[in-house]
Amino acid sequence: MHSQRPSKTPGSRREAWTGIAFVLPSVIGFAVFVLVPLLVALLLSFTQYDIINPPRWVGLANFARMASDHRMTVTWGNTVIYVAAAVLLINGLGLGAAVLLSRKLPGSMRTVLRSVYFFPSLVGLAYVSIIWQALMQRDTGIVNYYITLMGGSRVDWLNGTTAAMISVIVVDTWRNVGFTMLVYVSALQEVSITLLEAAQIDGAGPWRTFRRITLPLISPAIFFNVTTVTIGAFQIYESIIVLTGGGPGDASRSIVMYLAEQAFHQYNMGYASAIGVSLFVIILALTALQFMLRGKWVHHE
Amino acid sequence: MNRAASRLSRLLGLLPLALLLTGAVAMLAPFVWMFATSMQTPLTAYDLPPHWLPLPLRTQNYADALTGPVSLMTALFNSTVIAILVTVGQLITCPMAGYAFARLRFPGRGALLVTLLASLMVPVQVTVIPLFLLMRGLHLVDNPASLILPGLTGAFGVFLMRQFFLTLPAEILEAARVDGASPWTVYRRVALPLAKPSLAALAIITFLGTWNAYFLPSIFLNSVNHATMPLALVLMLGPYKTGNVAMIMAATTMAIVPAFAVFLFAQKWIVSSLTQSGVKG
Repeated sequence: MHSQRPSKTPGSRREAWTGIAFVLPSVIGFAVFVLVPLLVALLLSFTQYDIINPPRWVGLANFARMASDHRMTVTWGNTVIYVAAAVLLINGLGLGAAVLLSRKLPGSMRTVLRSVYFFPSLVGLAYVSIIWQALMQRDTGIVNYYITLMGGSRVDWLNGTTAAMISVIVVDTWRNVGFTMLVYVSALQEVSITLLEAAQIDGAGPWRTFRRITLPLISPAIFFNVTTVTIGAFQIYESIIVLTGGGPGDASRSIVMYLAEQAFHQYNMGYASAIGVSLFVIILALTALQFMLRGKWVHHE
Repeated sequence: MNRAASRLSRLLGLLPLALLLTGAVAMLAPFVWMFATSMQTPLTAYDLPPHWLPLPLRTQNYADALTGPVSLMTALFNSTVIAILVTVGQLITCPMAGYAFARLRFPGRGALLVTLLASLMVPVQVTVIPLFLLMRGLHLVDNPASLILPGLTGAFGVFLMRQFFLTLPAEILEAARVDGASPWTVYRRVALPLAKPSLAALAIITFLGTWNAYFLPSIFLNSVNHATMPLALVLMLGPYKTGNVAMIMAATTMAIVPAFAVFLFAQKWIVSSLTQSGVKG
């Protein structure tokens, strides 16, 4: 960035005023719709507030209540499972598809396949969940139809205790795998072929070459994808509403669903704000941790 | 022995392609089924084995969805208006702020940029309660303005445009400045026209993102008349998922038309914008 002080010429003053005018709409937008609400959420998390009576200061009571709230523990636990599954599956399968797509393929197949894999990422999660909830119906869905055709037995995808979470994970993975794949494909394109050939001449097998040369070279892409997928997965919401409704019981409910229920059905705005603050702190801490560990494993040229 | 081994290795060589094609089928099959089902009658929609071809061509479900009790016509209108206004807003505010952060010197630039990047980290689920209270105070609950106002600018868009303007060669802007052009003229006449590909990417990403959004609309809008597309589809499905599947699939087909249009015509515009930040270390 420019470090020299702007000299007080009419030109630089005009530039400064233009700069301020240019950023003003966006800065006002962030202040009003992001930063102030964030501070208000923080304040509300120390209150009891039912939207009718004015907020009442309760100190740390909401946070104490969180510690003993069984439903909170369950929904946080589910969310952690969703995040872990998303990070592993979306990145593993995305990288796998990208590696396969980077090989020699006939004709324009690479471009076509790449677009096909990416397409679900363009479609809203609510829409794809509506399609999948029809496919996953126990008696009328075609997933079970093909399973029984191959000799398997019907699975209660949307209402089974374990199956419900698996369904949510399947739909989430299916929708987002194309995005990480796209990032990995462009990262793999940057890996120098000379380097890979040199390794092969030195007698390194394909796996060793991948592990020792390709992986370190694409580590910035892995970092980006893991961070993005983590933040996104913590917010998982509409797919669960459409697929399982959070059930059976709370078996597939996420923390954001529990937050929305507390805030907008039970009008426990203070408690819901505390849940939101916990979500924010955990996302922030994990992202900070990822950035701290970045130096340890992400390769810089 | 040797021949068998070479045949085996030939087969193994085809394995990656087979895997890729299986994956592609898995990616497309739900959409093919959706489209085929959207043509069925209520009686044939549940046939097993399912119909994979949209035959016979029958558009009754589309007409029913558009004029049904949950009117998709209204939802299409609401979603289009919101998505267009948000996109236009971002096309005005984001390049201006992005350009200023990249190319203009003004007091407080560094601090403001950091604040902006920090707001990228705040999930809307955390701020939704204060936002709801704000909209309630402004009497904007169940009003499309509650979604349009917060969408008129976005940290992602500003960041995307800043990254683009940083890549512009300094000489181009300098030449215009030496000719006596004001900062506004340099921006409007020189920088902005060069940014067309980035602006296209921003427009597509913003439009689709708004069109697909569920969380905020589900909380701010609560009447059928103001429902956006995803809300209308969930309403059609009904709380016990007993809605008419053929009509719902017709509605879903209409809902994914913008995504399909991008898939067919505009993917190249957004791919590099979305992946660049991940590839460069």
